[in-house]
Amino acid sequence: MGTNGMNNRRKFFKASAALIGGTIAMSIMKPLGLMAQTDSDDNTQEKDKLPLWGMGVDIEKCVGCGKCAEACKIENNVPKEPFYFRTWIEQYTVKNDGEVKIESPNGGIGGLKQSVPDKDIFKSFMVPKLCNHCTNAPCVQACPVGATYISPEGVVLVDDSYCIGCSYCIQACPYGARFMNPVTKVADKCTFCYHRISEGLQPACVEVCPTDARIFGDLHDKKSDLVKFLQKNPTEVLKPHLNTKSRVFYNGLSSEVR
Amino acid sequence: MEEHFQHLYQALSQVDGYIYPNEIDLHWGLMIVLYPYITGLVAGAFILASLERVFHVKVLKPTYGLALLTALAFLLVATMPLVSHLQHPFRSYEIFMTPNSTSAMAIFGFVYLWYLMAVLLLEIWFDYRRDFVIWSKTSKGFKKLFYQLITLGINDTDEKSAKLDDRLGYFITVIGIPSAFLLHGYVGFIFGSIKANPWWSTVLMPIIFLFSAMVSGVALVMLIYMVVSWIRKVDIDMKCLDTIARYLLFILIIDFTLESLDQIHRIYEAEESFDIISVLVSGKLNITLLVMQVGLGTIFPLSVLGLFQFYKPSERVRKFFYFLVGGMVLIGIFFMRWNVVIGGQLFSKSLSGFTSFKTVYSGMEGSVMAAVWLILPLFILAFLLWLMPPWKKVTYHE
Amino acid sequence: MSKIIFRLLLSFIVFVTAFIAIRQLVIPESFGKLGHYRANSIEDNKARVPFYKGTEKCASCHQDIYDLQFSDLHSEISCESCHPPKIDANTECKIMPPKVEGTIEFCAQCHKMNAGRVDKGVPQLDIEEHKGDQNCIECHNPHAPWELTE
Repeated sequence: MGTNGMNNRRKFFKASAALIGGTIAMSIMKPLGLMAQTDSDDNTQEKDKLPLWGMGVDIEKCVGCGKCAEACKIENNVPKEPFYFRTWIEQYTVKNDGEVKIESPNGGIGGLKQSVPDKDIFKSFMVPKLCNHCTNAPCVQACPVGATYISPEGVVLVDDSYCIGCSYCIQACPYGARFMNPVTKVADKCTFCYHRISEGLQPACVEVCPTDARIFGDLHDKKSDLVKFLQKNPTEVLKPHLNTKSRVFYNGLSSEVR
Repeated sequence: MEEHFQHLYQALSQVDGYIYPNEIDLHWGLMIVLYPYITGLVAGAFILASLERVFHVKVLKPTYGLALLTALAFLLVATMPLVSHLQHPFRSYEIFMTPNSTSAMAIFGFVYLWYLMAVLLLEIWFDYRRDFVIWSKTSKGFKKLFYQLITLGINDTDEKSAKLDDRLGYFITVIGIPSAFLLHGYVGFIFGSIKANPWWSTVLMPIIFLFSAMVSGVALVMLIYMVVSWIRKVDIDMKCLDTIARYLLFILIIDFTLESLDQIHRIYEAEESFDIISVLVSGKLNITLLVMQVGLGTIFPLSVLGLFQFYKPSERVRKFFYFLVGGMVLIGIFFMRWNVVIGGQLFSKSLSGFTSFKTVYSGMEGSVMAAVWLILPLFILAFLLWLMPPWKKVTYHE
Repeated sequence: MSKIIFRLLLSFIVFVTAFIAIRQLVIPESFGKLGHYRANSIEDNKARVPFYKGTEKCASCHQDIYDLQFSDLHSEISCESCHPPKIDANTECKIMPPKVEGTIEFCAQCHKMNAGRVDKGVPQLDIEEHKGDQNCIECHNPHAPWELTE
């Protein structure tokens, strides 16, 4: 090996190292937004103005009519088969002997029907379920490619054109709120009707609820119905021990509910 | 799609108790059972090879090359079940392009790549480099072309270069052991990190996966060594086989201990999820878990191999039982993966009911496809053994 | 440096550079702007047109029914609760009016006796006992249920 060759090689190494180092740095910094300062400044200002969406569910008001689940399917093109729901309603019936019966035929669409005779019932109530839009969303943590994310307004969304359909997010969701859409073949879930709330409308389920059992609003806005609901009622989230910090709050949540 | 709906309606009619409506569709099927199974075979085979190289268990020499090529053959197929289970397989490149740093699955892509490119290929390359050069001079046609290409144009065959190969190869193997641990421990973490699922979410999951991987990999190499020897009509080195069997016994003991520890811990703590899990184990999983995994896959091999440590019957009997035990262990570990992957999805996250799982034959997730992904590595292995037979090697590492 | 190591490093460098180059080409433009996702996906999610138009939109043509409903017990209920849109989002509802049959089953969705519904302000009826095989709307105006017809 001649000295000349060594020198050339060294030069080559230096040049290539610089090239690679530069590209790596660029590719790391770009996604993190470290390079586009002007952009991020605008974002932080705007972020204060952005709402933080959340939902309250009043179990004491829900009558299990199924209008919300029906409206959700129409509004969001959810397949009509009874295996795909962005929102559904469960009826819990605690029997006198302590046994808990849970049912949700067709997600409650068409109205929940009592299946246990009155004399055996200790208590019974309806629980609407939907994506909890967790602050620490396990699905977002698990997605391998960044195809599901928390929007700046706190809504957990799916990027239909980017999802690879691995179902890992579905496994990671403790609430069973996600499903694999058989038509689009990507993960599908409640978006709080993102297209509606961005226009100032209510989510479809909230719009059609006849008893106002669902309260939608901005958690940042002290005057919103949601904030008032949270101030007035003792509320709880589902599966709090999993520390998902969800933004769907239940009033009247009984310990039988999972 | 209609067929899928039919399938789901049938599952709906068999739901036991209450499950969330979206859970009727079982999202991870046979392909995801295969994925940890095949990855485990890779890690296990590699660790057997490392025993010889790094820990100087010289009696295992006849299986060193075989184990490495087995690992490679299975590793090349390891991601295929994953890709074929994706709903959008052509988007799979995104895992490498925009990996989500918090996702266990995304990082697995890189662990896999590291293991394939930086460990296994390099180790095999260093091990064979000098032989490639020598073989390229004596062979013809495709083989010659392949040998010439794979040497990357380095034609040194002197002692000095062989020594360097040896040292670098050793270095790679030393790195390779933690890498193989990482590879399969990581697969365990993909399941163990899902806090939503109490059947998966245990800190022991990576380490259980690791030891069961070693069990399956060692058993596989043992079987392949026997079969290849029969095909080549050469005598099986009984000392080597006995040693492999002894290691298999040790690892099986550790594996069984860890899995029992996990179960005992569950039973004793009896957390919220315990009721449903105990129904799961005694009901839906009783055949695959208690009979296949524990009975056939663990207790039977443990008893036979344990007995052979004290009482050694004739070679013929031993060979027969080693073959049987190897097969049983492979079946047992397959069902261990099954019980983790399918078992974890059979019960609802509402902890109040069960869905059912039925394998289908056709389609990307069917059992035909699964058989393809299990048999393909054997063909690749046959090809590799033809291309670079370990028994024709001229050079040997120290 | 040994030739072997040099060749291997070279292959490694080629590989990594190619990887990074491809990555630069393939990553979607807006990826990483707001977080680890495609920022434009937010716009994609917003882009759909709502099917449910809201009570105000209905009232813009059907003010009379709106007023009637507002005067009675169903005042809290939005029009589309019972009249879900039957058309796709961009078509006028006149093309396919969202008519509903006022069958017993329809009203039963809210009013059929259910242990989970008592004391929630929604009248609960034993439908059989209440009116046999007659349809609810034969007596009740659904927009003003207390205005009984003969």
